[in-house]
Amino acid sequence: MIIEASGVNKRFGDFNALKDLNLKVQEGECVGLLGPNGAGKSTFIGTLYGVVRRNAGELKVFGFDPATHSKEIKRKLGVVTQDNALDEGLSVMENMQLYAAFVELPRSKQEARISELLRYMQLDNKKHAPIRFLSGGMKRRLTFVRALLSDPELVILDEPTTGLDPAVRHLLWERVLDLRNKGKTILLTTHYMHEAEILCNRIVILNNGSVVDEGSPQKLIQQHTPGFVAIFEENSNTLEKITSYKKSSWTTYNQSKQHCLRAPTLDDLLEFQKTSGLNALQLRPANLEDVFIKLTGEGLGAND
Amino acid sequence: MLMIESLLLSLQVVRRNWTVYKKDLIANTSPSVADPLFLLISLGLGLGGYIQRIDGLSYTEFLGPGLIATTALFTSFFESSYGFYIRLTFENVFKAMLTTPIGIKEIFIGEMIWLFIKGTVMGLGVSLVLLCFKILLSPISLLWIPLLGGLIALPCGAIGLIASGYVRNINQFQIVYSFLIAPIYFLSGVFFPISNPIVAKIILISPFYHGVRLIQMSAWGRVNLQDFLFHMSALILFTLILSVWSYKRVVAKLQS
Repeated sequence: MIIEASGVNKRFGDFNALKDLNLKVQEGECVGLLGPNGAGKSTFIGTLYGVVRRNAGELKVFGFDPATHSKEIKRKLGVVTQDNALDEGLSVMENMQLYAAFVELPRSKQEARISELLRYMQLDNKKHAPIRFLSGGMKRRLTFVRALLSDPELVILDEPTTGLDPAVRHLLWERVLDLRNKGKTILLTTHYMHEAEILCNRIVILNNGSVVDEGSPQKLIQQHTPGFVAIFEENSNTLEKITSYKKSSWTTYNQSKQHCLRAPTLDDLLEFQKTSGLNALQLRPANLEDVFIKLTGEGLGAND
Repeated sequence: MLMIESLLLSLQVVRRNWTVYKKDLIANTSPSVADPLFLLISLGLGLGGYIQRIDGLSYTEFLGPGLIATTALFTSFFESSYGFYIRLTFENVFKAMLTTPIGIKEIFIGEMIWLFIKGTVMGLGVSLVLLCFKILLSPISLLWIPLLGGLIALPCGAIGLIASGYVRNINQFQIVYSFLIAPIYFLSGVFFPISNPIVAKIILISPFYHGVRLIQMSAWGRVNLQDFLFHMSALILFTLILSVWSYKRVVAKLQS
């Protein structure tokens, strides 16, 4: 077992950031930690290597307690931090040389390891560029290089692709899948459900500091929002038709000023279109985003 | 073994600061040497002409050694207040560093070593200026007077770290500067001997004052062993107290 958390609590003043959080991560798993802003994802990640001190509960990472043995844990850990936190005034190479020493890589191996990873992240032509001249995507890739310098057993990715263009995102996804295939254990937070669905073999949904549910993406969809979704333009006429034609077992809800209708099969929805005379803007299988919204609620809480 | 590992990591924190610092070496070092130089010229040679001898010393001879201490005070305070605060909040340097085997203890010790080195090197710079002005006469004193600068940088730097732990935004350092650093600077015996008995008692709680006295004694060649030990013990005591306090503040900032 790589991570073993049971009953972990963290308070900031009156605010309970983590409430009796239970989570286990096994070797070789890629676990996606999903949850609204303020759900406790980053706080939980912080507890794993000791920068956040839990108030109660049991926590073991690689069998060590982060409160007392963070150094041992950090030697086997690589983190792609939410902010890149690179030294803007230094070059790519200078940044990585510092970090190679921080992770205690022997001097003789530093140069080769850095070059290898820069190639791997397609940054080898930027070796001597100052960080401030890099694009957002390049900085993010460099943050990956930094996290992988020590060839860590556990890789934590805290919103790795937020704000990146699709090309960079796909490159990063490929690299994450690569790491997965190499048997690395991965813990990933993201707000992109599609990303979690592609990369993770297990999803953990966090809300208000505790785990709401967990399982494979398919299992969660099957369990919470099975079937297909039709999305219609919002107007009162449509709503009326939906409410009068839909079967009682179907689900309706409004989202982004659109009416959504979920039914067990695609045929149900096609049949519905025919009888009601409505044409959906979109027909699609239910996905993780539907699960997410169902489990964590659509409304913004006081902490968002 | 653990101690050595930890120390090596602290030295990496020093190396990081040095790597960034040397990128802009001229801009970074010039105030530390130029300010004392201009003070020496304007106050020492200018104002000094109107001032009678103090304890048998000309005003430049009186003023000069204190400027070694002054440069240590400012270089360390600014480094550990504005400099550290910027690393902490704007550059997020420590956020990423703390994901590596470097811990808060190593960051703190690294920052303190960095302050000591800066205080020593800047002290050396000013000492060289004083040597040119023939205020410092013995080149041998260059071997250890700058180290006193490094020693002064520790408690004064710790004050900056403590301030970094309390301020809510970067502007608030100005309050610390105006109401703490400025009085420490002016009432330290650098510019005039403290003769008022009440003030003389009050400034005993200023670590900077003890450092000034140590450097002055050494530079003037008037070392009285008893006084030297007294000021040295006081400086070390303040360094310890302020270091413990600042370490606690740094932990509170870096760990939640």
